[in-house]
Amino acid sequence: MASDLGAPEPLRVDRTRVTVASGPLVGPVLSRVVGIHAARAQLPVDRLNDAVLIADALAARAPAYAAEDRLPVSIQSTPGRLEVRVGPMRPGGAARVLEGAALPEVGSVIERLADTVKTRQGAGGDEYLVVRLGTGFGP
Amino acid sequence: MSAVPDLEISLPARPENVAIVRHVLGGVGDALGVDPGVLADVRLAISEACANVVVHAYPGDQEGLLDVTVTTTPGCLEIAVRDQGRGMAPRTDSPGLGVGLPLIASLAETLELTNAPHGGTEVRMTFAYEDPHRHSGGLHAAPSPEETA
Repeated sequence: MASDLGAPEPLRVDRTRVTVASGPLVGPVLSRVVGIHAARAQLPVDRLNDAVLIADALAARAPAYAAEDRLPVSIQSTPGRLEVRVGPMRPGGAARVLEGAALPEVGSVIERLADTVKTRQGAGGDEYLVVRLGTGFGP
Repeated sequence: MSAVPDLEISLPARPENVAIVRHVLGGVGDALGVDPGVLADVRLAISEACANVVVHAYPGDQEGLLDVTVTTTPGCLEIAVRDQGRGMAPRTDSPGLGVGLPLIASLAETLELTNAPHGGTEVRMTFAYEDPHRHSGGLHAAPSPEETA
């Protein structure tokens, strides 16, 4: 019988989908879920802090541009990687979220802290803002 | 109650994910100003309900989802924990002590168990709390006459 010793463990993807009503719950909920996933992704402590800061920035800006009055967010982590996908948002919403999180002489906090920030188009012109920390993601 | 939930969480039904639900409910409690004692009861009851999903809903290595919704009204939290598994049934090989549901019943104001029409089980609980925003124009406060004029 073949031994399993030394066989690579299958990559386990952790994904949490959250939909939260715009209002006071967005910040506390989003920062906690993102913080836990960042820790599970075994990001270094400074990157974990970056992840929570990004979550706070998204919580402050994204609800205003959500396609409905509730903000859907998907958080996914694998070792060394964290992805936060916000949306669907209204057309142009992703850019507005990034602009709204800008600080003087710093620029967009989200873009400065994340490794990659992308806008994806969804059906019907909706947008998704995809924020990633870590390396080795696919396209 | 059962209005549109203020919060929906969907995640794989794995033991480690019960911690996410507990942690998030801590955030909900902080945002609403729920008394720490009540919040401890809420978190314990929800942990039991989520643990039931992890242990009982999906047999063997079957993967499945754990869904949690939170609906808030002034002074009341309604929380539903759902799975899409095999539903409620007697289990002679149950690894648990059988105290989970009685514990939830003792902690929650109300407890409702239902078999979902498309499979799975729903545990719906309500918890009463003293709403600190009730007189201060907070989260659930009714608009003042000046605001409505």
